[in-house]
Amino acid sequence: MSIDAQDHDDAETLDDQDEESKNRVQAWAADWIRNPQKAYAVMGVFMGGVLLATTLFPLYWLFAVAMAPPGQTNIPLIPTEIDLYAFVDIFQQVPFARYMFNSLFYATTVTVVVIIVASLAGYAFGRLNFRGKLPLLFSLLVLSWFPPATLFLPLFRAFNQQVKMLGLFMLPAEIYGTPGAVIAPLSAFTMPLAVFILMTFYAQIPDGLEDAARVEGSTRIGALFRVIMPLSAPGVATAGILTFITVYTEFFFSFLMTGDAASEWAPIVNGVLAFQSRYTVRYDLQAAASLVAIVPVAILVVLAQDKIVSGLTQGALKE
Amino acid sequence: MEVPRPMGVERTQSAGRSSIVSRLATWTENLSEQTYALLLLAPGFLILLLFAFWPLASSFRMSFFEDVIVGPESLGGFVGLENYVSLLTDSNPFATLTFLDPAMETPILQQALILTLLFAIISVAGETLLGFAYAMLMKAEYRGQRLVRVLIIIPWAIPIVIQGMIFFLLFRPGYGLLTGPLHQLGIFSQLPLGDAFSGFVIVTVADIWKTSAFMALLILAGMESVNQDLYEVADVMGASTWQRFRYITFPLVFPALMVAMLFRTMGALRVYGIIESTGVGCSTVPSMTCLVTEFTFGSTTLYGSAAAVSVLIAITVGVFISVYLLFIRYSNQSLGLT
Repeated sequence: MSIDAQDHDDAETLDDQDEESKNRVQAWAADWIRNPQKAYAVMGVFMGGVLLATTLFPLYWLFAVAMAPPGQTNIPLIPTEIDLYAFVDIFQQVPFARYMFNSLFYATTVTVVVIIVASLAGYAFGRLNFRGKLPLLFSLLVLSWFPPATLFLPLFRAFNQQVKMLGLFMLPAEIYGTPGAVIAPLSAFTMPLAVFILMTFYAQIPDGLEDAARVEGSTRIGALFRVIMPLSAPGVATAGILTFITVYTEFFFSFLMTGDAASEWAPIVNGVLAFQSRYTVRYDLQAAASLVAIVPVAILVVLAQDKIVSGLTQGALKE
Repeated sequence: MEVPRPMGVERTQSAGRSSIVSRLATWTENLSEQTYALLLLAPGFLILLLFAFWPLASSFRMSFFEDVIVGPESLGGFVGLENYVSLLTDSNPFATLTFLDPAMETPILQQALILTLLFAIISVAGETLLGFAYAMLMKAEYRGQRLVRVLIIIPWAIPIVIQGMIFFLLFRPGYGLLTGPLHQLGIFSQLPLGDAFSGFVIVTVADIWKTSAFMALLILAGMESVNQDLYEVADVMGASTWQRFRYITFPLVFPALMVAMLFRTMGALRVYGIIESTGVGCSTVPSMTCLVTEFTFGSTTLYGSAAAVSVLIAITVGVFISVYLLFIRYSNQSLGLT
């Protein structure tokens, strides 16, 4: 508060003539001193504005670069003209649509696989009692702590160099460059969190509902897919969305387990980088491609923000 | 979500398939809870066994075998801890990689370790501060709150390669928006993406920009679990805004904050994608993960050493996790929680 008053004193000496504005400043200062909550509110709005600006500025810059005409290197902060041609051009210069499709295909497939498999595991962990439950859960937790780099080398060799997995069998040659090379490791990588989320949701369903379904003649598996999963729809959606976003945004396996060509199942990682290496002066294309690739996740965040908030908090804080 | 059709419907439609399905279903009906649980866990753990547990064990084993630079075999004989010793002590056995120290006197692993630790500490500290601010912004109630939440979350959902592209465009040589001003201030070199200091700063800022939202979401969850009555009591007792934060919000959010910091530290210690995708590159800012890829894809393939580095990353992460867990336990005791 004292700082505000100080500022005001300085202002007073500087423009003595402007009586009216001085009075207004004085009135504000007096009001804020009497009522600090108001000052905090103003400060809060100001700070919030600054925070939002820092979040959004990099995205705005992407837009400004995409607007610039091709070949322009010195890009102004505010576009001088609106030129949307780059958004068409990216699909012509590079098979960007295919790159996008590949990424969406990876994300969707991993999500479906993980939800089905993690549902079975989540049901067992959440609703059944069995020996070995704690050690198995703990192994899942420990696994989620390992960095991808530690898993990478053996998988790379197994997919690429005919090294026997588990010392027992070889994968078919040339699995590298097929979707499996990305889908398999990412399914394993995203599964622990999905199991933890689904486990907590499935555990909350009252036993009575499951029993009722069983009395009605439903099988054990049927009860899981027809009663437990639908009743836990918010949890299933949350786990699915988080898995999808993780896979779509992932870099490490997506980059290292694929070739560069869209026809060889390379995801947007390679699509975006293709612009960086091939068209070094077409910054507008790089920016436009980046903006297009953000669209699917942006839509997901807008539609499912509540699921994301609750999912991260419930999955991550349950430890 | 695939919801199988009810048994009865299937039976009338395709007799052949339904008999197998119903026989399977009947078979599971008669299993004990123990067997049934293990049956349900089998598919998940099969995937994990092949694509997570086996690679972990295999990396560990590979790290004890000699690098073979020429020849058809990529791994040599068993050498015990030799890969680790040479990584930690040899001045620079890999002449093609100089990284931070052009004199090639500091062991390459030490450079990468210091850089990765610095990155983790600075970025997690920055994300914690910003995350707290974002969490407060998300928590406050006002018109347009949902929109603000979306805007804050979006960077978290942006693919790493695009995060890198954004910062590449901001700092690209010569014409990037911030390249000129920061060069004139004498902070960055003219080619910030190719300079170790500038590159490190760019990568750190990019990471903070993207992942503060994640931190904010976890802190927000902590804040929302705080009993609102406490604030009413504080108001009645005339607590200032700072006191409310210091004595109610902070201690009660602390456990969630610790978990959030643990998660982010684990993420920061594996930093790789943002280094490659900003165009800074592994030769300018070599993180630990960078060494794994350089040794795997570089001009000389050093599988034994690459595996040893990957195990050392896991050990570094393990050390941090233990420190956090011990600290959480200790602070819970001293706060009288648990």
